[in-house]
Amino acid sequence: MSRPLDGLRVLDFSHVLAGPFATRVLGDMGADVVKVNSESRAITSNAPDHPYYIMWNRNKRALSLNMAEASAQALCRQLAQQADVVIDNFSVGVLDRWGVGYDTVSAANPGVIYAQMSGMGDHGPWSKFVTYAPTIHALSGLTSLTGVPGREDIGLGFSYNDHQSGLHGAVAILAALAQRQASGRGQRIEVSQFEVGVNFAGPSLLDLFANGVAAQATGNDLPYDAVAPHNVYPCRTVPEPSLADERWIAIACMTDAQWQALVGLLGSPDWATEASLQTAPGRVAQRAMLDKRLAEWTRSQDDYELMARCQAVGVPAGVVQNGRDLCERDPQLARAGFQVAIEEPHPTVGQTWADRLPLNFSQTPCDDYQRVRMLGEDNAAILEDWLGLTAEDVAQHEVDGVLK
Amino acid sequence: MGQEESLEGALGRLRVVDLTDERGIYGAKLLADLGADVIRPEPPGGDPLRARGPHVQTDQQGADVPADGCTSLYYAYFASGRRSLLVDPGDATSRAQFSRLLARADVILFCDRHWSSELVDIEQLSAEGTEQILINVSSFGTDGPWADYLAPDIVAGALGGAMATTGDASTPPLKAFGELNFMVSGAYAAIAALAAVHARDTQNVAQRVDVSVHECIASCLEQVFMFYWYADGALERPGQQVLPRQGPTHWSNAFTVMNGQNGSIMITPTPDFDRQLAWLIEEEAYGDLLEPQYSDPANLKLLIGRTMQLLAEWVATKDVEALFYEAQARHIPYGWVQPLARVGDNPQLLGRDWFQNQRIAGRDIRAPGAPYHLSRTPWQLKAAPDSGQHTAQILADIGWQNDHE
Repeated sequence: MSRPLDGLRVLDFSHVLAGPFATRVLGDMGADVVKVNSESRAITSNAPDHPYYIMWNRNKRALSLNMAEASAQALCRQLAQQADVVIDNFSVGVLDRWGVGYDTVSAANPGVIYAQMSGMGDHGPWSKFVTYAPTIHALSGLTSLTGVPGREDIGLGFSYNDHQSGLHGAVAILAALAQRQASGRGQRIEVSQFEVGVNFAGPSLLDLFANGVAAQATGNDLPYDAVAPHNVYPCRTVPEPSLADERWIAIACMTDAQWQALVGLLGSPDWATEASLQTAPGRVAQRAMLDKRLAEWTRSQDDYELMARCQAVGVPAGVVQNGRDLCERDPQLARAGFQVAIEEPHPTVGQTWADRLPLNFSQTPCDDYQRVRMLGEDNAAILEDWLGLTAEDVAQHEVDGVLK
Repeated sequence: MGQEESLEGALGRLRVVDLTDERGIYGAKLLADLGADVIRPEPPGGDPLRARGPHVQTDQQGADVPADGCTSLYYAYFASGRRSLLVDPGDATSRAQFSRLLARADVILFCDRHWSSELVDIEQLSAEGTEQILINVSSFGTDGPWADYLAPDIVAGALGGAMATTGDASTPPLKAFGELNFMVSGAYAAIAALAAVHARDTQNVAQRVDVSVHECIASCLEQVFMFYWYADGALERPGQQVLPRQGPTHWSNAFTVMNGQNGSIMITPTPDFDRQLAWLIEEEAYGDLLEPQYSDPANLKLLIGRTMQLLAEWVATKDVEALFYEAQARHIPYGWVQPLARVGDNPQLLGRDWFQNQRIAGRDIRAPGAPYHLSRTPWQLKAAPDSGQHTAQILADIGWQNDHE
């Protein structure tokens, strides 16, 4: 069956996580993503056998180009002329020096959608600053806001903003494609990962500008809405657990009715049936007491069983699942086939896996997951498909040191 | 990027009906800010999300309160650029109008348990031969043992795997500030809609796309699945299939937040350890890093650990603002931990004229700008509507004649 983006050609000059995540999403949906790499750059997490690279580069074809060679740059320009989408997250100006900057490419290929993803954007006083996701989290407020009151040094435990920058890059590319369908013209897209990150504090920034109130970390409480209980609580675990062995459950009573259902599960003890706890403001005012009582109740209970009992009476509750739980105990992910064991072994790693695209298209399903390709593994096929080169042409480029 | 701008957004021809709650509303916002005509129906009592905080603090006379009484800044942000249609589920005419609206849409974004659920037959809307694209956002997918589970953002983040990564040994697992999990599912919902539009335009298929919030969160966990799948092999971290939550410290252990004299700063010696080492040598803070053991590539973990230890001692003596700018001048990606108040005055955002004005509760309020910039069809921020503000206009657009009323 076809996939939604079948026939779309994407020339991918991205690396690390944000850019490759954008093109991973496009590749999963059927785009022909040609990932450009080189012998000199294919090291550490940019090497095709590094697990980090394996995570973000399935469903792409691999082209190696030695961009120090003028012939490689010329080939690259020809490829860009055939592309629907070019995506770049090198430092500003690198692709211009290679002759595949936006102005050059769009002059020859006016339909091209040319996406540039950078940490800070292509202009402004910080545009030359170097960033990774933890840098962006710190600068955008995500680190100081995620934590417990009085501390600004906790932050998010994974590169949230890199994933989101990739997703936003994909949104912008797909929107430009829809526009091209109507106009026939492509355009340039600029994604500043910093601006993506700041955007996530949207309502809090409005609060700052409208009311002069600067949000601060609130732990597991909602920052603005009167909801309690709304926290995680310890569950039964092995004796003397390590941090990774701890078991926790999130419980959130978003309505008074949900609180009353929880009280029923608790066995309606006197403390829980106090009139002052029957409304959200009353519970919020006594949040610390509530959390203490609930922790006493949950501590001896199995997390999954307690979750099922809560949910059965309409109380939102969920086990704090770690990677092992997601892979071994989660019935929804198992049912969705979320972990995909990729059929063809990776040449050096052997068995590899994919986490499935979380979009289920009824008519154009995205169920094809191909392994990460080694450096230059698809050179001949790509150059034939995109440029019509013969095997002899490709062999000559190999001899000339262009394709490495 | 303004030299070739036009006035219409990229999605100017797209008609969208937004029947989302917190799980999908960000996706509808992304489409609206890109120029789609996104209609958000509301029940007679108003959209339930108009109650979400924060709110504009009004003066005692209520002079700032808009006609519909909505002061929600949550709503102003997430419902930007919509048109509002009043729909009364108890009124047959109103239901007929709603049905016609759905029939004329290109895309319908829907969340199960939305107030409009009783009016929406998703099986009919996804039957063969229908012309609409249906994006069906649910917490856990359409079937399975957890399909009916209730999952506000904290529960979704717990089950989805995000919470287990966040916090440290002195805290419980922590949720991200606000509702960041739902901004992931929202972004995926927008991708689903636009990819389905592309398939409709190029393959002539209309279809339904089911979006599970749970799967969306799980797909954006950076190291979590990587450690489970590769810890014992390619990662060479035997027995570390599950990393404990470790505060701000990245899975590589080469990025963390450290405390300086007057604040916190994210410190990393990557991507060029030699550059960082040269700086520490200049500062006479390099300790024993010139010992041969640290230059052996096989001892990378040892190098990282010792470097971070020395950096923590060094950073503790520093003014963090000066340290941040000095690091960036040396092309080292430190990040000064900013409180939100300072983000509002950030020189990069101000230098790019990033903030926009948005009309909220009768005032022009500075608001977040574009998450991306399209050169010909720029992103545009428009006000969220008053409740029912566009009812007459929308009914005219769908050809609902007065004699039907």
